[in-house]
Amino acid sequence: MANLNTRARREHTYDAIVVGSGITGGYAAKELTEKGLKTLVLERGRMVRHIEDYPTAQTPPWEAKYPRGKLPPKELKEHYKVQQRTGYAVTEYSKHFFVKDDENPYTEDKPFDWIRGHHVGGRSLTWGRQTYRHSDLDFEANAKQGIGVDWPIRYADLAPWYDKVERFIGVSGQAEGLPQLPDGVFQPPMEMNCVEVDFKKATEARFPGRKITIGRCAHLTAPTEEQLALGRGKCQNRNLCVRGCPFGAYFSSNAATLVAAERTGNLTIRPGSIVTSLILDPKKKRASGVRVLDETTGQETEFYADVIFLCASALSTAWIMLNSTSAQFPNGFGNGSDQLGRNVMDHHLGVGAQAEVPGYLDMYYSGRRPNGIYIPRFRNLGDPATARSDYIRGFGYQGGAARQNWERGLVGAGLGVDRKAALTQPGPWVVRIGGFGEILPYADNRVTLNHAVKDKYGLPTLTFNVTIRDNEKAMRKDMANAAAEMLEASGYKKIMAGDTGYSPGLGIHEMGTARMGRDPKTSVLNAHNQVHECKNVYVTDGAAMTSGACVNPSLTYMALTARACAHAVDANNRGEL
Amino acid sequence: MSLTRRDAALSFGALWTTLALPAGARAQASPTLTWTPKALSADQARTLDVVAELIIPATDTPGARAAGVPQFVDRALSDYYDAEDAARFKAGLDRIDSEARTGHGGAFVTLPAATQLALLTRLDTEGVASFRALKELVTIGYFTSEPGATLALRYDPVPGDYRGCVPLKDIGRAWATV
Repeated sequence: MANLNTRARREHTYDAIVVGSGITGGYAAKELTEKGLKTLVLERGRMVRHIEDYPTAQTPPWEAKYPRGKLPPKELKEHYKVQQRTGYAVTEYSKHFFVKDDENPYTEDKPFDWIRGHHVGGRSLTWGRQTYRHSDLDFEANAKQGIGVDWPIRYADLAPWYDKVERFIGVSGQAEGLPQLPDGVFQPPMEMNCVEVDFKKATEARFPGRKITIGRCAHLTAPTEEQLALGRGKCQNRNLCVRGCPFGAYFSSNAATLVAAERTGNLTIRPGSIVTSLILDPKKKRASGVRVLDETTGQETEFYADVIFLCASALSTAWIMLNSTSAQFPNGFGNGSDQLGRNVMDHHLGVGAQAEVPGYLDMYYSGRRPNGIYIPRFRNLGDPATARSDYIRGFGYQGGAARQNWERGLVGAGLGVDRKAALTQPGPWVVRIGGFGEILPYADNRVTLNHAVKDKYGLPTLTFNVTIRDNEKAMRKDMANAAAEMLEASGYKKIMAGDTGYSPGLGIHEMGTARMGRDPKTSVLNAHNQVHECKNVYVTDGAAMTSGACVNPSLTYMALTARACAHAVDANNRGEL
Repeated sequence: MSLTRRDAALSFGALWTTLALPAGARAQASPTLTWTPKALSADQARTLDVVAELIIPATDTPGARAAGVPQFVDRALSDYYDAEDAARFKAGLDRIDSEARTGHGGAFVTLPAATQLALLTRLDTEGVASFRALKELVTIGYFTSEPGATLALRYDPVPGDYRGCVPLKDIGRAWATV
C-alpha cells in the first residue's frame, strides 16, 4: 500500500503546474517546458485542438442555422444571460467558446458582466487581439498620485520581456515614438482605408498631440521562420477570428504557445481538471501542489510540483486562492494583506461617437481587416497642455471607418427593384470611435467567496461588488465630447456622440485581484509575481495588475509571465523555492 | 425636345403597355408551393412566396424566391423565433391576405402584380410593424443566401490581402460580409 501511494504520488508529480491554458497559462507552459521543466497544465474546460476543433471557421453565411447566426432568444435566455450582454460574443458560430451561464452561477450585488470560456485556450481564442505596451506613465501613476500601491516594477523591467513576447506572438503595428505608448517589435502594419487616412490627417492637423495610428494587433502580416515552423501563417483578412483561425494567423494558446510547449516533450495537458485549492505544506511554508476535481468523474485528486503558476484569469485565480484556506491562511492563500479579491479593475467602454463622412463614394476596400484604428491616450500625460482638472489618468480610442452594407436596408421604407439595386452597392462611409478608459483600483471593488450559492459541483461561487466612481464618470463625459469634437473638426456629418452604458466586466479585461506590490502588508504578489507569503506560487494573469492603464492588457500579462517563468526556473535551480 | 435612344425606348415601352395588357395587370392563378412549410400554413407560405419576391425581385440577379428566402423565413419562424414572435409574423401574412380580400376581392396571390405591389407599398410606407419585420427578415434571408451573397453582392471567403483604398468600380458591388 505504501508502495502504491508512493507510485501514485510520483505519477502525479511534475516539475511545474500551470493552472489555466488561456493567454497567460499557455505562455507559462511554453516558457517552463522550453526551460526543461516537466509541466502539467490543468484546464477546467474541454480540449480544443487547433483547427480541428474550430467547427465554424469556414461556415459561409448561407449555411447559418439561424438568421445572421444569431442565437434564438430562448437559448440566450436559458444559457447565455450574461454572455449575451456583450451583444456580439455569443452566436451560433462562437457559442462553444463561451460558458453557459446557467451552469456557472455567480452573484451580482452590483452588476458585473463576467464573460468567459472554459476550454483549452480560454479567451486567447476569442480575444480582441489588440496589443499594446504599458509605459512608465502607467507604472509610476499610483506612486505619484497616491492611489492604491506602487507597482514594484518599472517599464525598463518589462521592456525586454515585451520584446520577447512580441517576437514570438507576432504583432502587426506602426512605430510612432510616443512615450505614453511605447513602440514594440512590429510586423508590417495593416493599411488604413481612405477615410481613416482622411480622419488621421484632419485630426492630427487640428489637434496637436493627438495621433491616429493603425491598431497594433496580434496578427501575422509577415510571419517569421519560428512562426511558420509552428504551423502559423499570414493573416488572410477574413475577420472571422472569434471562430478560431484555421491559418493560425492570430495569436492564441492553441495555435502558438501550446504547440511550442508540446514540441518540447515536456508538456502534459489535462482538460476537465477544476483546480479547487492549493495544498499548503505548513512546515516548509510552500505549496506542495493543487487539489483537482475531475470535471467528468467528479473524483478528487492531487497533483504536486515545486513550482506552481496560477493563470486561471483574475477572477478564477482569486477564487482558487480565496478557497485555499488553512490555519496559516485563514482568509485565503497568501492573503495576509487582505487585498485578495479586492481592487477589481476593467476598462470602461461604451462611450464615443460616430459620424457620416461625405464623399469618397467612388472608393472602397478589399478584404476584411480584423483590426481598426487606434488613438493613443492624449490626456493627463504629465504636461500642462494635456492636464485635466476633472479626472486623473486617461483613455484611448479604438474604431474605424467603413462603408455601410446591405444591413442599412433593414430600416426605413422601400421595396422592389430600386431598393435591391441600392443595397447591392455600398452605402455612405461611417466612422466610429469608442473609448477604453482606465479604472482606478478601489479596495472595496471586490469579489468575495459565497458559500450560500454553490455551483453544480457543490463549490462556492463569487459575489461581485464592483462599480465605477466619479473619476471614471467624469472621464466618460470627456470620452464622448473629445470624440465628437474630432469628428466635427474633420468636417463629418450626422455626428452622434454618447454613452451607451457600461457595467464592470464588459471590457473583458478583469484585473487586480491579487496585486503586485513592494509590501506584503498591502499587496499579494512581489515584483516577480511570487505570492509574498509563499514563494513557489506565482500569479501572472490579470490578478497581478497593480493598476490597469487604458490599453488592452494581454501583452502585459504575457510579458509578466515570461519574466516570472525565468525567475522561477532560476530560483528553483538555486533551491530558493 | 430631343429624345435620347434610351428615352425613346422607354416611351415605346410605355406605348406598348397601353396596347397589350402587361403581365402586372392581370389576375393570377394561385401558385403551387414547391416546398413544405414547417411553421406556416400552406396559404401563408403561398402569400410569403409572392411577398418575398416583390420585396426583392429577380433582376439581373436572382430574386428572393430563387434564393430560397420563403423557406428561410419559414425556418426562422420554426427554429429561431419564440412562438409569440412567430405568431406576429404569421398574423402579418394573414393581414396582407385579408387586406387583399377586403380591398380587392381576392386572395393576395391571385391579384395582378401591380395591385400586389401597391398594397405592399402602402403597408411599407405606413410603417406597418408586421410588414416591416417581414421585410427585414426577407432582406436578411436574401443577402445571406448563396445567390444573394455571391451574385447580388460580392463574396470572398479568403481575401488574403487587405487593400484600404480601392476604386469601387474595380469591385463593382458591395461586399456580402464585413
